[in-house]
Amino acid sequence: MRRSLMGALMGAMLFAAAPAAAQDLDSMTPEELYEIAKTEGNVTIFSLSSRIAQIKVSFEEKYPGIQVEGVHLNSTRQIARLQAEQRAGIYAIDVMYMSETPIVYRDLVPEGLVEAYVPDRVKADVPEALRENLLTHRLSTRALMYNEATHPDGTPITNLWQLTTPDWSGRVLIDDPTQRGETLDLLTEIALRGDEMAEAYEAQFGEAISVDSDLQGAGEQFIRDLFNNDVVMINDTQTLRSAIGIISDGPKPVGFMTYSASRNNERDGMALQISNDTVPGAGILFPAVLALGKNAPNPAAARLMVDFLMGDDTPSGGAGFEPFFVQGDYAARRTIEDHPDAIAFDDLNLWLINPEQTGQARQRILDLVITLQ
Amino acid sequence: MATLASRAPWMARVVQSRDIVPLIMLAFTTLLVIAPLLMILFATLTPDGMAAWQAITNSPLSRNLWWRPLGNTMILGAGTAIGCLLLGGFLAWLVVLTDVPARRFLAIMSILPFMIPSFAAALAWSTLFRNDRLGGQAGYFASNGIPIPDWLAWGIVPTLIVLIAHYYSLAYTMIAASLSSVSGDLVESAEMAGAKRGRILFGIVLPIVTPALISGGMLTFAGAVSNFAAPALLGAPVRMQTLSTRIYGMVQTGNIERGYVLALLLMLMAAALLYFSDRFVSGRRAFVTVTGKGARTKRFALGRWRWPLFIFATLIGVITTIIPVIVLFASSMAPRPGVLFSNWTLHFWIGPAGTSIAEGQAGIFRNPHLIDAVFTTIRLGLTVAGCAMLVGLLIAYTIVRYKASPYTRILSQLSFVPLFIPSIAMAAAYIAMYGTSLGPLPALYGTFALIVMAATANLMPYAVQSARGVLGQISADIEESARMTGAGAVRRMAQIVFPLAMRGIMAGGILVFIKIVRDLSLVVLLFSASTPLLSMIAFNYASLGFMQFANAITLVILVICLIASGLVHILQNKVQGWKSK
Amino acid sequence: MEKQMNMENRTRSATPAIAITNLTKRFDDFTAVDNINISVPPGSFLVLVGPSGCGKSTLLRMLAGLEPPTEGEIAFNGKVVSSGRSGVTTNPASRDAGLVFQSYALWPHKTVEGNIEWPLKVAGWSRDDRARRIDEVLKFLDIERLRNHYPAEISGGQQQRVAIARTIGPRPGVLLLDEPLSNLDAKLRVDMRSELMRIHRATKATSVYVTHDQVEAMTMATHVAVLRDGRVEQFGPPDELLRTPQTTFVATFLGTPAGNPIPATREGGAFMFGKTEMVSADLAPGHEKVQLLYRAQDITVGAREGRPVVKATYAESAPIAGQSMVTCMIGDLRLTVMVDGFYRAEPGAEIELCFLRDPDAVFNTDGQRIS
Repeated sequence: MRRSLMGALMGAMLFAAAPAAAQDLDSMTPEELYEIAKTEGNVTIFSLSSRIAQIKVSFEEKYPGIQVEGVHLNSTRQIARLQAEQRAGIYAIDVMYMSETPIVYRDLVPEGLVEAYVPDRVKADVPEALRENLLTHRLSTRALMYNEATHPDGTPITNLWQLTTPDWSGRVLIDDPTQRGETLDLLTEIALRGDEMAEAYEAQFGEAISVDSDLQGAGEQFIRDLFNNDVVMINDTQTLRSAIGIISDGPKPVGFMTYSASRNNERDGMALQISNDTVPGAGILFPAVLALGKNAPNPAAARLMVDFLMGDDTPSGGAGFEPFFVQGDYAARRTIEDHPDAIAFDDLNLWLINPEQTGQARQRILDLVITLQ
Repeated sequence: MATLASRAPWMARVVQSRDIVPLIMLAFTTLLVIAPLLMILFATLTPDGMAAWQAITNSPLSRNLWWRPLGNTMILGAGTAIGCLLLGGFLAWLVVLTDVPARRFLAIMSILPFMIPSFAAALAWSTLFRNDRLGGQAGYFASNGIPIPDWLAWGIVPTLIVLIAHYYSLAYTMIAASLSSVSGDLVESAEMAGAKRGRILFGIVLPIVTPALISGGMLTFAGAVSNFAAPALLGAPVRMQTLSTRIYGMVQTGNIERGYVLALLLMLMAAALLYFSDRFVSGRRAFVTVTGKGARTKRFALGRWRWPLFIFATLIGVITTIIPVIVLFASSMAPRPGVLFSNWTLHFWIGPAGTSIAEGQAGIFRNPHLIDAVFTTIRLGLTVAGCAMLVGLLIAYTIVRYKASPYTRILSQLSFVPLFIPSIAMAAAYIAMYGTSLGPLPALYGTFALIVMAATANLMPYAVQSARGVLGQISADIEESARMTGAGAVRRMAQIVFPLAMRGIMAGGILVFIKIVRDLSLVVLLFSASTPLLSMIAFNYASLGFMQFANAITLVILVICLIASGLVHILQNKVQGWKSK
Repeated sequence: MEKQMNMENRTRSATPAIAITNLTKRFDDFTAVDNINISVPPGSFLVLVGPSGCGKSTLLRMLAGLEPPTEGEIAFNGKVVSSGRSGVTTNPASRDAGLVFQSYALWPHKTVEGNIEWPLKVAGWSRDDRARRIDEVLKFLDIERLRNHYPAEISGGQQQRVAIARTIGPRPGVLLLDEPLSNLDAKLRVDMRSELMRIHRATKATSVYVTHDQVEAMTMATHVAVLRDGRVEQFGPPDELLRTPQTTFVATFLGTPAGNPIPATREGGAFMFGKTEMVSADLAPGHEKVQLLYRAQDITVGAREGRPVVKATYAESAPIAGQSMVTCMIGDLRLTVMVDGFYRAEPGAEIELCFLRDPDAVFNTDGQRIS
């Protein structure tokens, strides 16, 4: 621990000595960053994925002399810890790799607790929307999934509104949106897509939707109807997967989960498949972002780490990206190929969330869900 | 015989005054508990916080955000406390006060369930009782043609059963420690008076162990109320929310103020409950059973009930211990997560890396961090258990010996509070407060000391309650006779009180140990060293989607806990040589 | 009388071993000990006697330093050890006092030897000194063979001996004993009583002994303080208390058997008990109602010529040294009288009591002595 404290001190000194340094660092090449980073000696990264352990190995191999302190923490905990530390005047975190971006944009970005860094090298490869503020590393999904073995002819749900019909009463599974940010984001997105939902309603039922007076738009009506149709909530990912995906006789429910849940189909004897043909959308794409901690103690090494994580120019992204390369997730850097077994990024029928908008609308949807429970 | 007091008269005054010791302990508790509590309180006094108060207490949301979860929480808390006292009390009686066969075996069986994480018990329950509410594969009973109604598969009933199965060993530990100090004379005198066994149990023995019953009841209540895994897993499908799932959810969805407000309200409810139970206890005379005359334990002869009761107790142990362990074990061996009992493989334990199984991950015994993690975990467990018991002993001592002071009651209530503080809030508060240097305190950010401090505060209730149960039974005479010799407070504590309370203290220590080696949420926020803890390794595996590895680690933790409590058991018998003869 | 004067002179001249001045202890609004003044010379055996709840144990605990006084002072050998005014309370240990607890309060996790050794260790005795002293007190109390036993393994009487051995181990100047014999059976109690006397003689420690048993008080004490409701009812040598009780309470509490106060009313020139003329009213001029104290030996069963006789109901009798101690009732009034030889009657039978001599003392209706 002494080491990182020393690092923090040194970093602070460096920072104080050269206020313009940050700008300079932002435009440096990895090689230039490495030279400075070597004097810093280490880098601390909080990661939502435990695969940070692999990054530690490959990074230290590529950049000898810089030691990686990789801490595996879920996004909520990263945010809580960063806030607590900075309140105490401690600046110990270099890089944060987290999702829960609606909270990040609500609580961290406006206060300047984290800073954006987009390496010049990758700017061209990342769509504008994914690097406007914080740099998106990859996109994960929360989508409607069904059992391909039970429904070999494709998804039984061609329209989201079918989920509100008696046929699917008690047969739609979801993790508790009051417990899981991603699921709440999904419902929020549906609420934000009121027009599309209204259109889909008419397509499904042949008449215009009438929205309850206390609700705003067709999306919120959908949420209410879904809950009133006895949607079943499950807090255990494993159970959720097997309930929908297991290959066996009898009818199967459908439900919302991450598309990447299908990657272990073979191993687990399951037949999970994304219901990509559902209108108006089968779910959401949400970003996992890379951010620098405010006053990062090792500013050069921090940037070098972000640069490394964005991968190299190969289709797989190389050692920096590969560990996170999972079927069902999508690299923000479009030079990196999508997984061959997954639907191509461009064919996905998913909504890409806007974290700031979602952040604003989320509270209302959460409250709506709470009243429905 | 010249002592400190003759040299410094104020010392004597300090020792005499009934308020000063409680005040010192209160100040100490302030650092550990009140400070984070205040931080939480202040966080709810911001505009966002005020909105959270409004939403929770007075809005259309109140019903689902507060009142219904509160109702469920209280039912679970009270039900668990009652169930645990009955079950734990029965087993403690059987083990300590009767001639039931294989008492050692039963004693170990009875403390096991607490070592098995409650999620395992919940998992076991749903493996057996799951019905078709979720689709997919049904549980054991349902697939064998026994229909399981929703109320038995999901919601409050199974949650209650799982919680009781998990926490009864807490009650057992407290009551057993207390029962073992019930003097044989008392039992014999009741027998002489012609009282029947049941009469003796309810008329003589139970009243004597009332403090332990209250402590055990409160702890199991608090444990059940703050338990997250069981209601989250078994309650969600029927939309049952408790305050703990609500608090977790609010923190998780970025409504931390709401989480804090719920936690504060929960603490208020618990404080009120504690107040009344304190009143209830102090309304009765406290019984002192470890007197200067020593005590021999008297065992009831069970007669023809010996074996039936043994079988019954073993059955309880098997259902609450062995079944969850089997489910855990099976789920560390089954390649397909849903199908627990076929195609078992040892890969997740000892398999090499780079195979087609588990995305090339090696078995846990090939994880280079495992050995390090085992030692770091044990070190953390021992340190926290030691610190917590020391703090617990001091606080419990103050509570028991300075009953008259008005501060004592506050202290007694405060010592329970940490159980209700969400660990994310606790950790955040500790970083924010003690991260930088604070007066004479050095900056503790990232140090082992900070983790130990936070964990000590967090687990204080276990330590205080178990120490309190035992101390409450040591007669004041014994300590006053030591005071007469001129022994200072520290010496009396170390050489008289401590050895006498040893059994209970060790029992409390093992509880703390078990809690902390399994804990993730608090430690993970404070730990930044590169050697991980076992619980963090399990979390790593779980987040990769491989519950098999995570469950294997859970079993490793279980084994560590088992060995630890085995050692404590041996030690307990050693240090109480004066009793067993 | 002369002897008594001597004693008082000595008390005044020498520094008292224990001097209690205006001592008061209040718990919230309950006064347990109320303005007590007692002092005794070195080597005394002070017995605090009184019924349960009279404050004697609280007084002892204040002497031991386990409770601070609310008001007043305690001085040992001229040195103030507790003072309510200054709030100073000397640590129990530095008062050179040892306390034997009613419950014995042996440390159950230490052997007999360990129990005796520990206080010596705390007091900083060397290993050799300790070993010598342990042998000495074990022998002195005749418990050498119990050396390695734990308290739970020995009998109550033996535990009592260990408790005493432990207390006298460090040779305290003041030995405090809290009802030490109350847990023993009658035979053991008598044995232990003489044992305690022997210990007192041998150690020469000024002793304070709390009991509710007036026989213990009468047999052991050099000084007795009778306590009632937190106040000293009477303080003095045991024979003085017996001979000239200052209150009816003392008169009825002390002595075997105790004295009989009988209410009487002036009628003409005599005090009357009911319709019986008891004694000339000159005994207490100016008092309308009094209580007359008759010793048990001054009353007997069966009428005698010229002496007052009243009717009573027989309750029970107990033989004592060739006489019978007969208890009987007149209404609610209980009387104890002596009869020569063996006397017994049907319980409930009517008997005649005869007052052989004039009353020993006269008290007013509040129980204070008049003459």
